[in-house]
Amino acid sequence: MSCNHHPDDSTLLSYGAGSLPDALAMVVACHIAACSDCRGKIADAEQIGLGLMEQEPVQSMSERSREWMLAMLDEPCEKSMPEPQLAVDYDSNGDIPAPLRPLIGQWFNELHWRTMAPGMKQFILPASQGKLLLLKIAPGTFMPSHGHSGSELTLVLKGSYSDELGRFSAGDVADIDPEMNHQPVADTHEGCICLIATDGPLRFKGLVPRLLQPFFQL
Amino acid sequence: MVHLRLIETSMEFKPDQAAQKQDFRQMLVDLAKSRDKKLFMQLYDHFAPRLKSFLVRKGASEELSEELVQETLLSVWRKTSSYDPVKATASTWIFRIARNLWIDRLRKEKPDMLSPLNSYPEVGYTPSMAACDVGRLKDALDALPQQQAQLVYKVYYEGKSHREIADDMDMPIGSVKSGLRLAFDKLRVRIGGEP
Repeated sequence: MSCNHHPDDSTLLSYGAGSLPDALAMVVACHIAACSDCRGKIADAEQIGLGLMEQEPVQSMSERSREWMLAMLDEPCEKSMPEPQLAVDYDSNGDIPAPLRPLIGQWFNELHWRTMAPGMKQFILPASQGKLLLLKIAPGTFMPSHGHSGSELTLVLKGSYSDELGRFSAGDVADIDPEMNHQPVADTHEGCICLIATDGPLRFKGLVPRLLQPFFQL
Repeated sequence: MVHLRLIETSMEFKPDQAAQKQDFRQMLVDLAKSRDKKLFMQLYDHFAPRLKSFLVRKGASEELSEELVQETLLSVWRKTSSYDPVKATASTWIFRIARNLWIDRLRKEKPDMLSPLNSYPEVGYTPSMAACDVGRLKDALDALPQQQAQLVYKVYYEGKSHREIADDMDMPIGSVKSGLRLAFDKLRVRIGGEP
């Protein structure tokens, strides 16, 4: 999968530093499963973190910690450590990106989508910081025009949509500046599934969309 | 490849330890086979105080930092067989484990968290094999305009999101992002990444 739109470098920096809110980090994780360019930048951000760590004056550990460490080496693993999971590309095992599979399974059509407005269904995912949800938009459906009060990351998982910024297809990320209003529309016959994360409420412009806001849970 | 290895090895020398000729990458690879505790404790002695200092800077209490350091190095001991020397330098690998445990810990403190997101899967990272010269990185940091340095500091040490930084510094999120972008470009050049 080739991607034309990527998370902003500032987003990748924060991801590598481990400072991106949970919900936003999940969108980045799903994007980099398919994008080696961004993986490279994140590796650089990790190197910077490592460099910062190395230049700190060291702080010695308390007296007995070495002894305790040695003692722990012989302890059996109580809980089996989860094997690091390989984020594979979309494949025959499912159309849901690998980082999300432990949460929601393999296939989009097996999810219990909830209708929120005509042509729009959502599936809300748990996140400790920010909001995270899947949004399914029927072909030709316009999202209400909205702005943001925080960061928003949108990753297209299926189909495509267009807005003022251009056309976004599977694998593309829109890293939207909060000062900007946009109005996405699903622009292919198959409709569009997106993973959306925000760390601040959306701001809808019209009265009716504002009334709808609670249903978006954003 | 030989060339890259040389760089990598030199990166992991601390000047004061150059004499000991420590090659952490090789140590981890050997450790997976030999399960030699003495060898492991050499890694421990190098990384534990550095990780502790890093976590304290991130805002963890001294006690929590030590607990996470022990947890990190225990994971290193248990997971050496999954360490792939082609994919990451030893230090980067250990740094990732510590960062992920720190993130997990922060999440556990949120009572409303239903099920944890694992947003840092192993994705076969493109390795950053370039030399990370700590001195050069420090120079690059010192050369940043003060505001950009402050932004980097808030991301790495305070763990703040762009929105929180915008609130702290009373500036639009767009400016936070562009400042970080510029700083990242300059720092990447210094650590050998493409600008």
